Amino acid sequence: MVAWVPADFYRAVDGGLQCTLCPFRCRLRDGDTGACKVRRREGDRVLTATWGTTVEHWSSVERKPFYHFRPGLPLLTLAPPGCSFRCDYCVNHRVSQYGRDPDSRVSAPDADVEKLVAAAAERGGGLALSYSEPSLAAELTLELGARARPLGIPLVWKSNGFLTPEAVERVAPVLDAVNIDVKAADEDAHRRLTGAPLAPVLETLRLLTAAGVWVEVSTPLIPGTSAEDRQLGRIAEFVASLGPDTPWHLLRFTPTYRMRDQRPTSPERLADAARIGRAAGLRYVYVERALGAEGRATRCPGCGVEVVARGVWGQTESLLRDGSCPGCGEPIAGIWTVDERTGA
Amino acid sequence: MSTEYRFVEDLPDLIEASEYDDHPEGRLVRLRISWDEKGVEVLGDAFRPDMLEALLEKMGPDAVEQMLCG
Repeated sequence: MVAWVPADFYRAVDGGLQCTLCPFRCRLRDGDTGACKVRRREGDRVLTATWGTTVEHWSSVERKPFYHFRPGLPLLTLAPPGCSFRCDYCVNHRVSQYGRDPDSRVSAPDADVEKLVAAAAERGGGLALSYSEPSLAAELTLELGARARPLGIPLVWKSNGFLTPEAVERVAPVLDAVNIDVKAADEDAHRRLTGAPLAPVLETLRLLTAAGVWVEVSTPLIPGTSAEDRQLGRIAEFVASLGPDTPWHLLRFTPTYRMRDQRPTSPERLADAARIGRAAGLRYVYVERALGAEGRATRCPGCGVEVVARGVWGQTESLLRDGSCPGCGEPIAGIWTVDERTGA
Repeated sequence: MSTEYRFVEDLPDLIEASEYDDHPEGRLVRLRISWDEKGVEVLGDAFRPDMLEALLEKMGPDAVEQMLCG
């Protein structure tokens, strides 16, 4: 059961109301549902199905993944239904493809914002929107942020980055960190895989970086698109253009949903991809599992010593001193403690 | 009647990353079956989630618990 509540992020245009949240900018006649399937017009207003959440799960910040943001931070993770993409490989399709795929039958009770913020405060944790597409829950994000930020409770997204610039401008002030997927290096490949253009995703990354939100990037190695050397090289170059300290997470492809016939990514391929990232100038390239502890470790770009070690489930051991390498003093980019802010 | 899927915070791993190279086609499925007075629990892990889900659904469970990614 999903509740529809009044939405924001739309404007009146000739012939109807236009959603301004994602770059599809759907023009909605009365009764129309947007491409995302979780926003629809009813009379002179737009409603959203994303004020509810399918889960309220605790997990560590490293599992999103964030490796340079508040190590060990527990996150109360919410997943409103829906996604603006229809990726063929989505492991979370039962939640993300709500309204698009008949197999997605989720219940999403209304989020009790006050209770969620209180729960995060009590545990000394943060709030996350993940598993589905958080940008479609911009209204919930703004409300969570308004209540969480004064209490020093961080709010993070694991997102596809598919927002309009005006939506980015509104949500950036309440977001402490984002991890955004870059799933392909060219428009055709990205459209084939996701059903959406790539350029807005890259623009969102630039805008959020410029706004001082802590940014990490993930790339799943999808056969036929991002798993190819040429695509990986171009994605790595883009990530490096955000700054060589931008952490880049390489994700193993899991054969599932509409891509069941492919092989899972081999460890060797992930190691190749990591080398491509480093060759592009990226200082922090990560692989969660396939390369063992070394794939999760942060090494000082100055002297090479391991400064942060991580377990698979988020257990983290940091040797950093005030955010710097204990050996050579090189600052390690990130938000390592509660009182650090980017761009300050 | 289709199987109900419940999303849970954590499930134990039955496959280690050190085994990835041994199964390049991703055909490994591992099960752990246990029982108590409440019933039988089947814990599964696989490189191909759909294969595991199909197997579990054939057992006629009350529900299948699944971890989400991210």
